[in-house]
Amino acid sequence: MLLDAFVDSVGRRSMESPGSPALYFGDEVWSYRDLWSSATGVSDRLRADGLRPGRPVGLLAAKSPDAVAAIIGAGLAGIPVLLPSCSLGDTALHALLEQTGSSHLISLAGRVRPGAPIALRVERTGGIEASAARRDRMAGAPLILTTSGSTGSPKIVPLAADGVERFFGWAATEFGICADSAVLSYAPLNFDLTLLDIWTTLWAGGAAVLVDQDRAAHPRYLRELLQARPVRVVQAVPLFFRLLAESGSEPFPQVRNVIVTGDVLAPPLLAALPLLFPNAAVHNLYGCTETNDSMIHRIRSFDLAPGTSVPIGRPIAGVHAELVDGFGRVVTGPGTGELLVYTPFQSDGYLDEALTADRFVTRFVAGARRTCYRTGDVVRRDADGRLHLEGRDDFHVKVRGVRTSLQEVEHVLERHGEVIEAAVVALPDEAAGHRLHAMVRVGGSAGPNSLRLRSHCSAALPRTAIPSSYDIGAQPLPRTSTGKVDRNAIRTEHLRLGA
Amino acid sequence: MYARHEVKSFIVEKFAPDVRVDELDDDYDLLDNGVVDSLALLRLISWVGDRFEIPIDDIDLTPDHFRSVSAIDDFITRFGAVPVRK
Repeated sequence: MLLDAFVDSVGRRSMESPGSPALYFGDEVWSYRDLWSSATGVSDRLRADGLRPGRPVGLLAAKSPDAVAAIIGAGLAGIPVLLPSCSLGDTALHALLEQTGSSHLISLAGRVRPGAPIALRVERTGGIEASAARRDRMAGAPLILTTSGSTGSPKIVPLAADGVERFFGWAATEFGICADSAVLSYAPLNFDLTLLDIWTTLWAGGAAVLVDQDRAAHPRYLRELLQARPVRVVQAVPLFFRLLAESGSEPFPQVRNVIVTGDVLAPPLLAALPLLFPNAAVHNLYGCTETNDSMIHRIRSFDLAPGTSVPIGRPIAGVHAELVDGFGRVVTGPGTGELLVYTPFQSDGYLDEALTADRFVTRFVAGARRTCYRTGDVVRRDADGRLHLEGRDDFHVKVRGVRTSLQEVEHVLERHGEVIEAAVVALPDEAAGHRLHAMVRVGGSAGPNSLRLRSHCSAALPRTAIPSSYDIGAQPLPRTSTGKVDRNAIRTEHLRLGA
Repeated sequence: MYARHEVKSFIVEKFAPDVRVDELDDDYDLLDNGVVDSLALLRLISWVGDRFEIPIDDIDLTPDHFRSVSAIDDFITRFGAVPVRK
């Protein structure tokens, strides 16, 4: 259910300043009156259709004002909303609906003009309700998000109401988001990044400038959008800034705060940022769905020495961060270890208790118990106390900013009837960060081709986790002397063939 | 219709080199199956525009125009200026 503080704020704004812009999308401007009117329409419609408060629904929609109004409308009706990724395969989507006990799947039958009744498609799932304990947690969640889901069954993260409210307060203050601020929202609607660029913005009475997901890779569209709308704050992954920089974009002097997040910033791109945004403070922001943002670094030097990296910086106020080395010891001074964080914004864990026990651990911080999240990120603390991202454990990479487990992609490939064994390796890619290459051993010579393996993967994995190249053959995978699949050999051979 | 073979050859050569042209079905979903990702889509659009002399910038494009070989073929038939031969 949406936060009371959010509903109060948006409802009040729709009465006190009804004509103020809430959402920009293409040529459309949705005022607070429009947004509120469409949202209350959704709420009435869902109640009339017999949907029950407290029982979750899945909302599958690309980012649009209609989708934002649908989320608020469901919230007004007391219905918790699960936001799955639109690129998820059917199997994974249905697993999410089943685990949350969602009664319906809601999607959009088309777009409508600002303030009009939203064109909802409401389908019954036929599923059964979740256990009472899980229902309680979801009923209180402002939104139910999922992790990126390279696992085929993404982990479900019911957000915590008090955490989200604290995050709104922090983000609005830190980045100057207030009534009349326009904030660019680049990420898809189901990403935790929208907690800042859409939901904090609306809570503060500002306007979110929604990037159309279908055109998110078109540099000209992005440039024109930034010129057409009075954007003061930009939050996006490095890919967005790369598209602008490489298309020779003119500067955007009106932008005051730039937030780079979700992936590592390469030095050439870093140098382009002050040229694109000459009047902006530039921040590197680090976080994850489970805890929301935890580290921040204000970038002041845009000229990095080769071999150095932009720090993820220092803990945000109220955040506790510790590094734990390979022997389970806390690294107190300079050194390297896995990053564990507690944030004032974090969720209470996954919906699945067993998964929670694996990643959320109790630590003693200054004599008090704190639940910390094991990020899986390997981080180095420098002599000045700033943290630097060194990488992940070997089997997790980021593809287009989405955390992806190589092992889970392998497991999906190996579930294909004609596949005997599969290995997936990650290769550096300038645009995507990483791309995946699969080596697959099939039985006999007439095995599946890459098109059929892609179809098989797309049923269970998000699009970013579908390998982009395949080496398919009948010979066994190369192995090291200890019998492990030799990933280095696969990587080297693939690069040698010049793929 | 004759554009299909050429479109398939381009897609197979650039994005699925292990596949023979005749193995790519007309209705295979190129986007959902990740054959064509968002950056590849830009390359494909630009190639279709150049090859078939379509004023891409003047058309309200959607990814669905490029979802499958038949969709691309329909798009070329509708907007293309260049006659295509086998």
